[in-house]
Amino acid sequence: MAIRSLNRRTFLRGVGGVAIALPTLEIMLNRHGDALAGGAGPVPRRFFIGFHGQAMGGDGDPLRDLYRPDAFGPNYDLKAATMPLSNYGDVRPDVSIISNLRIPYNNSGPGSWNTEFHLGALPPLLCGVSNPDDSSTCRGPTADQVVAAAIGAGTTFESLQYQVQPSWYLTDSAPYGRDILSYRSDGAGGVVQVPGQTSPRAAYMALFTGFVPPDPSEAAEVARELARRRSILDLVDGNISRLMPRLGAADKIRMQRHFDEIRALEDRLAAIPPDATGECSMFADPGADPPIGGNNASAGGDGFDVNAGYSDEDTRARIFSDLIHMAFTCDLSRSVAMLYTMAQSHMNVNSFTGIPYDQHEVGHSVGTTEAVSQILAWQLDQFAYLVAKLRDTPEGAASVLDNTAMVLLYEGGHGLDPATGDENRTHSTENMIVTVAGRAGGFVSGQHIDGNGMHPVNVINSAMRAVGVDTDLGEVVGTLDGLI
Amino acid sequence: MTDAPRTLLALMLVGTGCYKGSASDGSEADTEGTGADGTAGTSGGTPEAPELGGVGMMGMRRLSTDEYDNTLFDLIGDDTRPGSALIPEDVADPYDNAFANQIASRTLIEALEQLATESTARLMADAPRRDQVVGCQPTGPDDEACLTSFTAAFGRRALRRPLGDEEVGRFVALGAQYAAEENDFYAGVAVIVRAFLQDPEFVYRVEIGTPTDEPGVSRLDDFEVATRLSYLLWGTTPDDALLDRAESGGLATPEDVRGAAQEMLDDPRALARIDRFHSMWLGYYRLPHAPELTDAMRTETRMLIDKTIMQDRGDWRTLFDATGTFVNDFLAGHYGLPSPGSDAFTWVEYGDSGRRGLLSHGSFLSVAGKFGDTSPTQRGKLIRKRLFCQEIPPPPPTVNVDEPPPTVSSPCKIDRYNMTQIDGCAQCHELLDPVGFGLENYDQQGRFRTTDNDLPECTIAGEGAIDGNTFSGPAGLSDLLRDEGLLDSCIVYQVYEFAMGHDVANDDERYVEDLVTSFAESNYRFDELVLNLVGDEAFLYRREEEV
Repeated sequence: MAIRSLNRRTFLRGVGGVAIALPTLEIMLNRHGDALAGGAGPVPRRFFIGFHGQAMGGDGDPLRDLYRPDAFGPNYDLKAATMPLSNYGDVRPDVSIISNLRIPYNNSGPGSWNTEFHLGALPPLLCGVSNPDDSSTCRGPTADQVVAAAIGAGTTFESLQYQVQPSWYLTDSAPYGRDILSYRSDGAGGVVQVPGQTSPRAAYMALFTGFVPPDPSEAAEVARELARRRSILDLVDGNISRLMPRLGAADKIRMQRHFDEIRALEDRLAAIPPDATGECSMFADPGADPPIGGNNASAGGDGFDVNAGYSDEDTRARIFSDLIHMAFTCDLSRSVAMLYTMAQSHMNVNSFTGIPYDQHEVGHSVGTTEAVSQILAWQLDQFAYLVAKLRDTPEGAASVLDNTAMVLLYEGGHGLDPATGDENRTHSTENMIVTVAGRAGGFVSGQHIDGNGMHPVNVINSAMRAVGVDTDLGEVVGTLDGLI
Repeated sequence: MTDAPRTLLALMLVGTGCYKGSASDGSEADTEGTGADGTAGTSGGTPEAPELGGVGMMGMRRLSTDEYDNTLFDLIGDDTRPGSALIPEDVADPYDNAFANQIASRTLIEALEQLATESTARLMADAPRRDQVVGCQPTGPDDEACLTSFTAAFGRRALRRPLGDEEVGRFVALGAQYAAEENDFYAGVAVIVRAFLQDPEFVYRVEIGTPTDEPGVSRLDDFEVATRLSYLLWGTTPDDALLDRAESGGLATPEDVRGAAQEMLDDPRALARIDRFHSMWLGYYRLPHAPELTDAMRTETRMLIDKTIMQDRGDWRTLFDATGTFVNDFLAGHYGLPSPGSDAFTWVEYGDSGRRGLLSHGSFLSVAGKFGDTSPTQRGKLIRKRLFCQEIPPPPPTVNVDEPPPTVSSPCKIDRYNMTQIDGCAQCHELLDPVGFGLENYDQQGRFRTTDNDLPECTIAGEGAIDGNTFSGPAGLSDLLRDEGLLDSCIVYQVYEFAMGHDVANDDERYVEDLVTSFAESNYRFDELVLNLVGDEAFLYRREEEV
């Protein structure tokens, strides 16, 4: 079995740009040993990209959003959608809001879509590649994968994908890519979907694999279990190898993909776990996942099941945030993509808005920017929670957040719907907003910045530069002025 | 008769430009193994491909989440159905078992490992269940004879074929190592069970067979046939009896397979599978209601399916013609039907309530909603797509399908929807909405209503139209379905797609069209449809997918 060891060169290569010297970084010394021998070395940078399947306003509401601050610059004001930024000790100084962004439509320009919003506008946002036929899937890799390939080598998880909303929630249709946030290159000019982990518990088990508990007998059992898992996978791996030559061409491709993932798991089990000391620690098992809610075919009224179409995404997002915090703090991963809600999300938002509708229909049927802002606020609180956790985690003389660039994308803006020609619509990529956080590589925080009609991917490009990845995503070239 | 849907489609194509037709379009390398060789009927040279053709493409199929949970229960008695919490949600389009949608991912691999670990832990903590699975009493930690007999027997059930000695030896070696290290026989059993639950041949239904004289077409071995049968009819792994039948050459001919299937239909798992098929076909496998109501609606429909298909062995179309239904006091109260005076589900006649058959069940009526109410458009789409097997093309690019019907001077739904019958929207809406309006007297929980929700001034006429025929309510639509013969071939195509995990393609045409004919000849008995499906020679073959 090929064991991918943590190697010094890949570790150092990944960390370009400005290095912050640290007197000691206990965790990394323990984990990477010789790599940081000498007491000082570069700190890893981390990249986070989040997605919320939500536009900024309600259909027909002339109020564009309750999100954009009134003035550009620092100390920006908060509105209904952004009020949660004052939580957790006020994360505003760590968060920048970029407004006045737009994705071109009617197939007019780099990274554009045509007219079918929910399917068509998503790929240009995620991968920066034009989507003339309004397909729902990306034709290029997404930022988390580009970053992972550049700076993730040597970490246990080159990238992590988490998915808060675990179900499409409708039984008479399927998501067709609206549940996918991450695409990686297949090495042959195409891309492969990378679906997110929907189980917080499974994510917990995977992330903390091999962590050594302080209690010696517990530690011994952990070591034994790791050995068992490796032996079992070794047998499974051998059985796949024996089966493979007997398969037809199409099955072989399918099985090879399965096999590659098994091998990757074996590599992760072989990786040296970090010591659970200092800021890096294994937190308590979150327990069983909240149950997955059922169909949410826009029922209301007296027989309405408040749990239809809701799987306690609130709790799920919290646990995933705690895991991302540790993935970054322990340097288990440097690139994370988190899908909060799917594009055209049919999650029931009743529990946190009191509106017994699915998320998608709040924008259309309820149709007020005020109602929509409650959904934005719910998710922004989750984002603020994660920002604060990273801010409050010291790393040398600074914090983990200071070495991180975070990008939060929304599915839509508010304005012209190119399908109908109507104004003040949710099916629009006019007046889009992207929110960012962190200070890696001179990423600018605490500002409301004018996007001047640029593409949201220009913001992503800036965040990639901030973590030392000098690459443009897809067809969209350059960074956003004032952000880095 | 058999061409009814397509004839109708052709007419509509001319009329609207909005529709298009849907339906037209070796030997064991592990040399010590005994699994794939020695299959009855295939020994002695290259087998011939079936004379009649009709062999459909088949790819390696991963157990769907539902099949995984069923299999775990049948294999080791795990009744916690843990798969759905960890395995990424299957794409239901409308069936959850289409192999083209099953793409391996890190999430899947992590889920399979964790499921294996945790399910095995539950098994080991339950001594009686564990002993039953192990099948022998070990004399001590190093009882290799017991470990070997367990591995051979369990492996046969887990991988759905006998294992060769060397293959058994590999699993035993792993188990023996941990039994010795931990001085515990069952520590060895546990790692073996975990390894089987992650084995590629457990996770996937791998079909290899023997190449025939037709390139790309292979004759399945009897164990592969047993597995096909079992997952189609029961949604789970073959039991020992079925594997014994395969091993003794008892699944070698179409007649053998038909005979086995006939017995399998008597198992309660067959009803569960048929119920699941119907729920995915019509989209009610999950319902948006509180658990008590959801359970009651599912029970109602399942009992009608049981009565029609399994008990009466009657005309399947009776599902749509039933003059009564099974309700308990709770559900009868919900519908406003006469109370049976019992918590048990009891047959109650509909009388002149306007209800008839499955189309008046809450299960069906709950599915296609939008904008917080029933959606005539979505109901029309559901009926055309699933009951008529018509392909509904996406709306034109200038249409926003999420736009609620416009507000007009009248607040009433019918007037608002009529406003969509203009411009570019009309072409499709006039095909969909009138169908749905025929069921508009039934709300999204299947209750009868005479006015729009919260709008007493808006009286619902409940008149629908489809392709020149008018109808009113579930009874009217059911009559229409019967008179036009639309369901008769549509359901055959649906069952075939569910069985094979892919849409009907040219290679399948002979097979499916023969099933359409034999379904009619059997007076539309669903059990006969299933038996004819598995009793066709083509069921014993696979066509390799082209890359």
